[in-house]
Amino acid sequence: MPQRENIKKVLILGSGPIQIGQACEFDYSGTQACKALMSEGLEVILVNSNPATIMTDVDIATKVYIEPLKKNFLEKILEKEKPDALIPTLGGQTALNLGIELEESGVLERLGVKMLGATSEVIQRAEDRDKFRKILDDLGAKYPKSEIVKSFEQGLGVVDDIGFPIILRPNYTLGGGGGGIAYSTEEYKVKLAQALHASPTSEVLVEESILGWKEYELEVMRDRAGTFVVVCSIENLDPCGVHTGDSITVAPQQTLTDHEYQEMRMEAKAIIEKVGIETGGANVQFAVCPKTGDRIVIEMNPRVSRSSALASKATGFPIAKIAALLAIGYHLDEIQNDITKSTPACFEPALDYVVTKIPRFAFKKFHGAKDILSIQMKSVGEVMGIGRTFKESFMKALLSLEMSPQGIAEVIYDESKVSIPNSERIFHLFQAFRENKTIDEIFEITAITPWFLEQIQEISKFESDLKASELSPELIIKAKRLGFSDCRIEVLKNLPAQSVSAYRSENKIFPSYLQVDTCSGEFASQTPYFYSTYWSSCAPRHIEKPQVVVLGSGPNRIGQGIEFDYSCVRSVKEFQSFGKHVIMVNSNPETVSTDYDTANELYFEPLTSEHVLEVFRHVNPEGFVSQLGGQTPILLASSLVNAGYKMLGSTIESMDLAEDRGQFIELCKKLKFKIPKAAMAYDYEMAKEACNVVDFPLLCRPSYVLGGQCMEIIEDETDLKSYFERNGNMMSKTQPCLMDQFLDRALEVDVDLVRGDDWVVVGGIVEHIEAAGVHSGDSMGVLPPQRLKPEVAELIQKMSCELAQEMDVIGFLNLQLAIKNDEIFMIEANPRSSRSVPFIAKAGGVPLVNLGVQAMLGKKSSEVHPEKYDWRKLDTICVKGVVFPFKKFAEADSILGPEMKSTGESMGRGKTYAEAILKALISSHVNLPEKGEVFLSLREKDKLELLNVAQDLVDLGFSLSATGGTAKFLIDQGFEVLAVKKVSQGRPHCVDRIRSGKVNMVINTTSGREAVEASFTIRRSCVDYSIPCFTESDAAIQVIEALKKNSLKPIFEVSPLGLN
Amino acid sequence: MSLGFLVLDSGEVFSGQWLGGEPKAGEVVFNTSHSGYEEIATDPSYYSQIMVMTAPQQGNYGVDDGVWESKDIWIQGLLCLEMQNSTRDKSWVERLTQKGVPVVEGMDTRSLVLCLREKGTPWGAVVKASTKKEAQDQASVLIQAQKKMDSDWVHAVTCKEPYELKGDRPSGAKVAVLDFGLKKNILRELKKRSSQIKVFPSRTSAKEILSWDPHGVMLTNGPGNPVEVLEATETVRELLGHRFIFGICMGHQILSQSLGASTYKLKFGHRGSNQPVKDHNLDLIYMTSQNHGYAVDKKSLPENVTVSHTHLNDQTVSGIMCLEKKCMSVQFHPESHPGPRDAEGLFDYFIKQIQ
Repeated sequence: MPQRENIKKVLILGSGPIQIGQACEFDYSGTQACKALMSEGLEVILVNSNPATIMTDVDIATKVYIEPLKKNFLEKILEKEKPDALIPTLGGQTALNLGIELEESGVLERLGVKMLGATSEVIQRAEDRDKFRKILDDLGAKYPKSEIVKSFEQGLGVVDDIGFPIILRPNYTLGGGGGGIAYSTEEYKVKLAQALHASPTSEVLVEESILGWKEYELEVMRDRAGTFVVVCSIENLDPCGVHTGDSITVAPQQTLTDHEYQEMRMEAKAIIEKVGIETGGANVQFAVCPKTGDRIVIEMNPRVSRSSALASKATGFPIAKIAALLAIGYHLDEIQNDITKSTPACFEPALDYVVTKIPRFAFKKFHGAKDILSIQMKSVGEVMGIGRTFKESFMKALLSLEMSPQGIAEVIYDESKVSIPNSERIFHLFQAFRENKTIDEIFEITAITPWFLEQIQEISKFESDLKASELSPELIIKAKRLGFSDCRIEVLKNLPAQSVSAYRSENKIFPSYLQVDTCSGEFASQTPYFYSTYWSSCAPRHIEKPQVVVLGSGPNRIGQGIEFDYSCVRSVKEFQSFGKHVIMVNSNPETVSTDYDTANELYFEPLTSEHVLEVFRHVNPEGFVSQLGGQTPILLASSLVNAGYKMLGSTIESMDLAEDRGQFIELCKKLKFKIPKAAMAYDYEMAKEACNVVDFPLLCRPSYVLGGQCMEIIEDETDLKSYFERNGNMMSKTQPCLMDQFLDRALEVDVDLVRGDDWVVVGGIVEHIEAAGVHSGDSMGVLPPQRLKPEVAELIQKMSCELAQEMDVIGFLNLQLAIKNDEIFMIEANPRSSRSVPFIAKAGGVPLVNLGVQAMLGKKSSEVHPEKYDWRKLDTICVKGVVFPFKKFAEADSILGPEMKSTGESMGRGKTYAEAILKALISSHVNLPEKGEVFLSLREKDKLELLNVAQDLVDLGFSLSATGGTAKFLIDQGFEVLAVKKVSQGRPHCVDRIRSGKVNMVINTTSGREAVEASFTIRRSCVDYSIPCFTESDAAIQVIEALKKNSLKPIFEVSPLGLN
Repeated sequence: MSLGFLVLDSGEVFSGQWLGGEPKAGEVVFNTSHSGYEEIATDPSYYSQIMVMTAPQQGNYGVDDGVWESKDIWIQGLLCLEMQNSTRDKSWVERLTQKGVPVVEGMDTRSLVLCLREKGTPWGAVVKASTKKEAQDQASVLIQAQKKMDSDWVHAVTCKEPYELKGDRPSGAKVAVLDFGLKKNILRELKKRSSQIKVFPSRTSAKEILSWDPHGVMLTNGPGNPVEVLEATETVRELLGHRFIFGICMGHQILSQSLGASTYKLKFGHRGSNQPVKDHNLDLIYMTSQNHGYAVDKKSLPENVTVSHTHLNDQTVSGIMCLEKKCMSVQFHPESHPGPRDAEGLFDYFIKQIQ
């Protein structure tokens, strides 16, 4: 028995809320690891604070703790569970740092817990730059000229030695957080201060720039016996200077000779051995000088990483699963290759296709943030395209971004968008070649390896051939092999929509589906993981069972992330339990849904109607599901239904009742539900007119947007004018601006329910902690509601059911309602599984997704027994916390509003509301202080309401400081307050005070465009210095209340998720 | 653009775009290495073989004649999905076609590989034609002619005369190399570790080799069926026990035959850079570069011979050792080129045995 005899119970650390640089790839790796260890018969204890993950579902591990990933909580869990070992290498940097902390503080030793996968010593050899450089020196490996800087003064001294541009990399941060590139002394000083602050050890590597070098990454694995394999080589299209998470990357590498590649492989092997990685996955990043061929080592990660997920999906080699098995003592040759089922896992995958990853960005969400890519990661999601050639895979990846059905729609060429890396660079590169720029010209300003430029040029050139040529089957085949979408061909040839697909059908030009098999066809493989291509033919397929296709949610973006993957994955199991053969279609390599053993078959394809319909044509399903993957499949639904396929659950007509604002308003009127007064306008004049009906304050937003994009609260006519000036281009007669009455200071709630033929189950009511006006995705929430009157809650539940009934929903319905003065307003309905479903399911204990599947399968009340499910029988209170990426967007405002900005969520569970809310905050990385100074800057209407808060703060031992009006008000009320200057009143002002570290917490509420702008620097400095800042009064009140409760008696307990 | 075809002896026809060269016939094999197209094409072990590359894009990094493994390109044709064709650098396809090697791109290599996996290693021909029928007619003539050539392929690729090389270590060992179609990197590896190297043609007698008085003998890689290489098997048998012998690939098969073991044809061989091998002496697993269609039959090994290496994908013999007769050999390529260098320590071990 190769497994370590003495290990029976293992604790796995997750990575916490989704943030930039650490996203759902760790849900994928953790889930895979849990599954692998459970099937080995081990007891698995999982700890993660993120409720939106699959891994925190009760049946993934023996016990699931949704608790903060902090030392004191882990200590409690370890004491309670007494596991034999802990694996810290599967939950990203968060888990790794926590693992080190637990080991170094002696907790693990005291409790007799072994650390598997990597010890703190090994982690430090890889992550501590000094130690790592020593290792490289010993091996004769090169690295860029650099200095470890531990103080500002020391940092200034090393400039001359290194020379500009200079790269700054703080130690022990994820996604390069706090790092940057400086081109001048002034810029260097600013960035150095920030970087020192970002590093938990106040150490920054100040480094020679290798801008323009070719960048590579090797994903490797090693076992205890010393067997070493490279799972995947990855080449970045964007040369050094852009964070690898923000780069377009290609696997396997394309432009290295065998000699160069093998040298790199040997160096990686030597580094891994020397660092002492005993078992598991790791990666090493290299840069290669395009002129001299010199190679340097950029860094290594001694753990499963974001790129491990990509490498696993790109090759079919399940890195996390194998890392988990290696950790408990297996050797690579003792583990079977899952894909071939006939060969061992100790091999290096050989690919007969090419994979391209493209990141997806969200700059539009962060007003003021500059769309420039650098060494700090900024992308919020990614897509992967698989094709037989780079061009085919690249074009499929571009379509997968879901930006345009053309994939490479034309843009107005801007050379600066080519020379300075940014989120739209790739589209400008295509445009550059359309405008006949040469490879040399573009290479000169981008340093992108000419091979890649040639591929792009070839695609661009073909566009003109296509325009000039007569339509023929040969021409279409060529276009499809290059990855052109039907839509792009139609645009180029000036043909009506659908005509190319009709032409293809006439001429029988269809894609084939090839298997991802890890071995280029050398061995017969069983794994049903496919991609489409027009380059090859494939054998016909026979499936006896009834087939259901589940459409995934595509790339993560703000507003559509891991929560939808949870619903998709969970539904697969439920459909399977009803005997269905489930087929998953998705384009996101980070997710559990795109693990090859989640569904019966996986089609890794762009979520466009063309690609999905081709999959349907190939598999011929009895039905498909579009309720689970967020807005992406909802937008596809009608074209799929029009093509003759059956959508399970609610009909298109039923969905339109919710999606179409006009129909929804009619419906509410019919049911006599109150709705905020509303109007529509497509220009400013019309909007001004509409204000007679709606009245200020009002909420403006364009039609058909996700996550409240461009949604703003408009207080007066000036605001309204400015809004139309900025967003008028999004409005038209067919897509007017929606103007709703804004229910100021109202209480908001989310309701998720499932309706079947003759039954309804409400999953729960989540009460928002912030008042109306903050996007539901950004507000904290609590279940069960704390402020809602029971009779109002009852009424809400009743109204929700009525609405579902009237809409004839079959499956999911998500509702948002607002309550003001006990009046209930229906705000919005989403005819699908929502962002809140996993939270509600875990907090309320109702298996919503399973019920949704049963509803879609037409199960009756007599089979479902809806009466079994009652979320109100709860003895635990759960609070949803949120995590924002403001730190990554140096110019963005952290004020909350109707446009969603958060990337992830956490969950705090407790016996009391105070315990739950504090845990949620801790999990969201809010460093709540125990003492010190609280700075207040309050808008007029909040002042009275926050008096109690001020009193509580004083009682807790905090001192208070405030600007002008707020200070005067508080002093008048008898408080001792330090008055501080506003920024406009000269220095030293409040921001200086915050930046100098004298302030420990900030409460800053503000409204009106000008006031918001004026107070921007206050919030920004809090973000930069990780100081908790509450911008909404209700949240401040509830948090301080909780702090007060906690101070009386420490309230933290830990408990596993129970089965309800 | 003209059409190019691969016609298999077994009847299947695959088509693509003809990029140049002259029609040729040979055994059709596939290689799963991602990089190293030059090293593969210039490896004499591929004599009389048509190469299907599973990596879809070829020629990406241009050419470097410095990495050639011999003076010539040996493959009888190169089939791939896409060949680099830019104004900047189309040198690989040019090198191939100038040497008369037929190149066809746009071929459904995936289906072709699945077919080869089922059929084994069929004969076939790469031809330029305008119809399938025309291609089949041309191909059958070429295939028949190619099949008639001498069955000792090693003799066709070995050096015609012996030659000497100076090693980098004046005090090091003298190594005799019996050339079955050697890859230059074997010589480069030996050169680093020895004082003198003399390369002998495959049909050299044991007496002649011993008269040079080497410390050890290296048996190289080479093409074809080892059973047909009669003289060398005899030569090696006579050398056994006199000098330490290290064999690679064909050298491994010849050594095994001379020890009394037999060889057999694998269904479709091992050709790639990701082949896992277990070294039983060191208790280590490494990734190896392999290129062979025949293997040594484990059951036929005499008692005094131990299996030192096992191929982990199919448990075939990947290396043997016989201390009594002072010899060892491996089926894979410790000299890599292309492929991982995990096993290059075997050269050190060999030199240690003979110094």
